[in-house]
Amino acid sequence: MKKSVVIVLAIVAVIAVILCSAGISSYNGFVQKEEALKTAQSEISVQLQRRADLIPNFVETVKGYSDYEQETLTAVIEARSKVAAATGAEEQATANAQLDSAIDIWVNAVTEAYPELKADKQYIALQDELAGTENRIAIARKDYNTAAQTYNKSVRTFPGSIFAGIFGFGQVEYFEADASANNVPQVDFN
Amino acid sequence: MLVLMATSLTACGKEKQYPEIKEKTFVNDYADVITEQDEITITNKAKQLEQKTSAQAVVVTVESLDGEPIEEYALNLGRTWGVGDKEKNNGIIVLLSKNDREIYIAVGYGLEGALPDSKTGRIIDHYGMTYFQSDNFSAGLESIYGAIVNEIYVEYGETPEENYIPVMQLSSKKEDSEIGEIIISWVILIIIVSLYMLVFGRRGGLFIFGSPRFFTGGYHGDFSGGSFGGFKGGGGFGGGSFGGGGAGRKF
Repeated sequence: MKKSVVIVLAIVAVIAVILCSAGISSYNGFVQKEEALKTAQSEISVQLQRRADLIPNFVETVKGYSDYEQETLTAVIEARSKVAAATGAEEQATANAQLDSAIDIWVNAVTEAYPELKADKQYIALQDELAGTENRIAIARKDYNTAAQTYNKSVRTFPGSIFAGIFGFGQVEYFEADASANNVPQVDFN
Repeated sequence: MLVLMATSLTACGKEKQYPEIKEKTFVNDYADVITEQDEITITNKAKQLEQKTSAQAVVVTVESLDGEPIEEYALNLGRTWGVGDKEKNNGIIVLLSKNDREIYIAVGYGLEGALPDSKTGRIIDHYGMTYFQSDNFSAGLESIYGAIVNEIYVEYGETPEENYIPVMQLSSKKEDSEIGEIIISWVILIIIVSLYMLVFGRRGGLFIFGSPRFFTGGYHGDFSGGSFGGFKGGGGFGGGSFGGGGAGRKF
């Protein structure tokens, strides 16, 4: 009688140990993947901020050519302050997309009125920096999605899904492909 | 929605096949546009550069990009092949597509300070565009390659090759009187970029945003190697990674 109780207890103990170690290792796995996600996310914010910081410089350069595009310029400045004020990934993305189009409209208006701007070295340099920043944002988003995919897979597949439920690791959303993100501004020489 | 995104991701994940590289070759002339002489010159420069600075600068020409944006193509090549040192991420991909008539220079994380996007664009404009526009791809590539190599030498405190002119001092075609102004705005621009490098750069970023756990993440390793092809399997390059820096032109 006593002997069988001991055996049962031993079996329960062994199972508990196995479950515990499995739980710990999947917990650590989740944490690691979550940190990867955070890194990717901060990289995106950094690049968005970098772009916002480049804009005043850009504005100064183009301003030298034009005092008349005030209306479209005001839209840029407003959009930029919205990016600075935005909190959270989604709001940031929206504000950023608005800034995108505001810059496009303004630059188009100015270069149409002042075609010689396209030959301005400083203008080209800033265009390159902006295009590079755009590209970094796009890459950072892709990298984020790759990290998110790895994370979601580990949260959803068995047996990780059980532990994910216990520890409260949920799925994360992907960055939706933003149409404007593919529109990397190109310096046009034609 | 989530499922849809996931499927589109896997579709992206399959990607197309990039040319495989079996050994470390610095000139990969798939479009067959580089002369034998220029290939030798570039290869010699590349070997010397690697020996002195550990940086790896690779030239690739392709017939067509098959519709992929050139900046993506270049970045994926750089990551797949692992160009540059694994720790320093000091790789460069100079990619020219013959049919698309486009050139792009992708700059690894570690060289973004030496070659910010604006400087990279300026190098193409000054050293390459005239050649590219007249279909002299070989001479154009050789010319911009020399400029890139010199900028990297300067960054690493090595002596640049003869005839080196810092990109910032290249004469501007017009408005010589405003050259002071131009230099000042360049300096401001470069300060902004360098500040970002310092504060948010790959290594710096860890300290700003990082909890100690970041150090155990192995996250960057995943991107530079794991998901884009192995460090060593790539073909003898160092395993460096790229973050989207660089500049390109249509011609």
